[in-house]
Amino acid sequence: MLARIAHELFWLGRYVARAEHTARMLDGVFQSDLQTSYEDPRGVQLGWSSLLAILGARSNGPTTRENALERLTLDPAEQASLMSCVSHAREGARTVRDVISADMWEALNTTYLVLSGPELNTRVSTGPASVYRYVKERSALFWGLTSRTMLRDEASAFLQAGGRIETADMVLRMLRVALPATGDDEVRRDGQARALLAAAGGFQAFRRSVPAPPNAVPAVRFLLYERAYPDSVAAAVSAAEDALEATDRAPRNSAPVLRLNRLSAELEFRRRADDDDADLLAVCEQVQRELSLVDADIAQRYFAGGAATVAGAR
Amino acid sequence: MSEPMLARQPASYSPASGFYDEVYAPGATPRPHAIPLAFELARLGADHLAAAGLRRDTAFVEQGITFEADEDGHVRDRPFPLDLVPRIIPAGEWNSIKRGLAQRIRALNHFVDDVYHAREIVREGIVPWELVVTRSHFARAAHGIRPPGGVYCHVAGCDLVRDSDGSWRVLEDNVRTPSGISYVLENRVAMTRLVPSLFRHYRVRPVDHYPQLLAAALRAVAPAAEGEATVVVWTPGPLNSAYFEHAFLARQMGVELVEASDLVVRDDVVYMRTTSGLQRVHAIYRRLDDDFIDPLEFRPDSLLGVPGLVRAYRAGTVALANAIGTGVADDKAIYHYVPDMIRFYLGEEPILQNVQTYLLGDKDVREECLNRRHELVFKPTGESGGKGVFIGPLTPKDELDALADVIREQPARWIAQEVVRLSTVPTALDDGTLSPRHVDLRPFAVFGEDIRIVPGGLTRVALVEGSMIVNSSRGGGSKDTWVLDDSGEGDDRAEHPMPQPVPPVLPDVRHGGWSGQQQQQQQGQ
Repeated sequence: MLARIAHELFWLGRYVARAEHTARMLDGVFQSDLQTSYEDPRGVQLGWSSLLAILGARSNGPTTRENALERLTLDPAEQASLMSCVSHAREGARTVRDVISADMWEALNTTYLVLSGPELNTRVSTGPASVYRYVKERSALFWGLTSRTMLRDEASAFLQAGGRIETADMVLRMLRVALPATGDDEVRRDGQARALLAAAGGFQAFRRSVPAPPNAVPAVRFLLYERAYPDSVAAAVSAAEDALEATDRAPRNSAPVLRLNRLSAELEFRRRADDDDADLLAVCEQVQRELSLVDADIAQRYFAGGAATVAGAR
Repeated sequence: MSEPMLARQPASYSPASGFYDEVYAPGATPRPHAIPLAFELARLGADHLAAAGLRRDTAFVEQGITFEADEDGHVRDRPFPLDLVPRIIPAGEWNSIKRGLAQRIRALNHFVDDVYHAREIVREGIVPWELVVTRSHFARAAHGIRPPGGVYCHVAGCDLVRDSDGSWRVLEDNVRTPSGISYVLENRVAMTRLVPSLFRHYRVRPVDHYPQLLAAALRAVAPAAEGEATVVVWTPGPLNSAYFEHAFLARQMGVELVEASDLVVRDDVVYMRTTSGLQRVHAIYRRLDDDFIDPLEFRPDSLLGVPGLVRAYRAGTVALANAIGTGVADDKAIYHYVPDMIRFYLGEEPILQNVQTYLLGDKDVREECLNRRHELVFKPTGESGGKGVFIGPLTPKDELDALADVIREQPARWIAQEVVRLSTVPTALDDGTLSPRHVDLRPFAVFGEDIRIVPGGLTRVALVEGSMIVNSSRGGGSKDTWVLDDSGEGDDRAEHPMPQPVPPVLPDVRHGGWSGQQQQQQQGQ
């Protein structure tokens, strides 16, 4: 398939996943922020300024709730907003309309039209939760349609890989911002660990899989390592690997596949070998660095359109 | 500071005289803690509240947060009625309620222990033994059993009311299976979604840690090694009116929701049947009454029970929450003695007062009460949920006369109480206008290693004008209950920027773009 199309599909997957995670986080932070929040700097922190950092929005000085909420939800000029993600996804889907199924295109296009509708501003100011819920549901619809209506070919593999890598990346960004840095003699406080799980969308899954209370360490370990939870970093990395492995012409020689494979094994190893005192923040940082190399490998191997192959491997 | 908050009482709102209104003080100005609420309510306006009410009903029906109501002989699923105007309890007031509840529950727990062991309170002549053994929930089977940590009342909910002077009083104790906590949690979620602007000026203490408290308490009393206890929630089944709550708690705690047929007792040990065989159960949060739990010990006709359970319990291989026999403590005749219990067991003065109650066993008291039957409330002692209650001023004379005969026949099964003039809180009608309605409060306490009480509780509201019957089966609704945080009292959240922890530096968020890709390629070559 065309390198350009593969690239579009990969980013389509990323933007749909980014929109969903953005909606989840906005919803989670919005809800926990209405009630008392713990303001212990040694605890897990998940407030509006954390959210701006996670989503990569520039923050000039103190932010108020209303300001952050408006910027990150419907502001089309804000690259990190929910609206931007959805509109990027819709642009991408329009480009590859012939490759994806008509149902998928319609699902995305409708989402975009509803979000840009006139009454949305009112909905955001009176009860933004309904907007976030809508985006989460539409994202589920998109992925559901993908699995039921799209041919499982190379195109769907790039779409999947993009979606999964974005999920891993978003969860890691969230953990890195929310987790407090620990000194030697400080005890890690739990702070808003519960809100973190809610914002990641895995609270119920956590309750069913982990007997411990939703405190910082078990919650972070769950979001990093728990393969049985589809949006954990480990599950996302291994799903991205599967997608690329299935479509690569020579997976045993493919830098991104090999790298993902190693990363996946590394996560599994840490899950079993590390004790509870391990520096999870450092793990997150390292995994994210590795993921950005995967990103570069993918661009090199698949999207360079042969240029790189002719020029020889890196 | 932006616009000053001026919030007069709406012209249409008129609290009935002789009752305590929790928002508007006499003179039609809001009480200090309620000023921002009154202001935001006025700003929202009736239309918006009415619209939010419609969204609430749709959402509750979709989520299955409903209860069965009898309508013209048909049983129908109705959305649980949540009123969109919250009830606010200032921090200081809550602290004294909390201490009062903890004190009361500690005393009730002592009493249960005492009744089934040494009976000191009886020997001291404070509570007559005759009265204790005739209570319908007195359980001979519990005699001599002391559960781990000496905790019997793991989950307790006391019904509180405010009298016309605004003082808090205990109306009833609930130490069997008090229900309603699921609505407390769901109400809060719904409020943040439907009317977030009401939260603007308040710091409201969260309630969503209740399942954690409960799970921790159950694990603490389970006879198992640390971290290995298997906890289950035991429901009578999907037909039970509180099944929603049973499933809610099991889901929130991440434990199995079992029915009697899932449990089996072998050699005095309780197991559950799983796909990989029998699995040991260490702690059971049971949501059915003593009478039904074990046909070998209690009612032999119970199909909901697990044969042998009480034997296992006696052998100490399984913890039951609440313990067997706690019903003796929340009997309405025993209620009369709770202040004395607090003095006897704890050597303290009760922080929360009872409502004036008369035991009808004594002939003089009984006749005096029956003479005043048009102004007192009569309650059967062993019932809960408002069943069988007669409110003198609201009951026709012929019914009261018939009641008097019933009471004379079985005086020990009845108590009489003074009518409490329940406080009112503004409540939104269908069209969004506000009107005063009577409320009570059921806070929930969890007793594991110590007593923990979730801030607030379930505020029940009588939706019918003038009515004081708050039970949901009889036209009652609920309100989200806000306990304010006192750290930084008086600071207005909307005015202040959020605290700014410095977030770590992350790599930039990447964006796709084919042209950028091409440029990179060309630069790389």
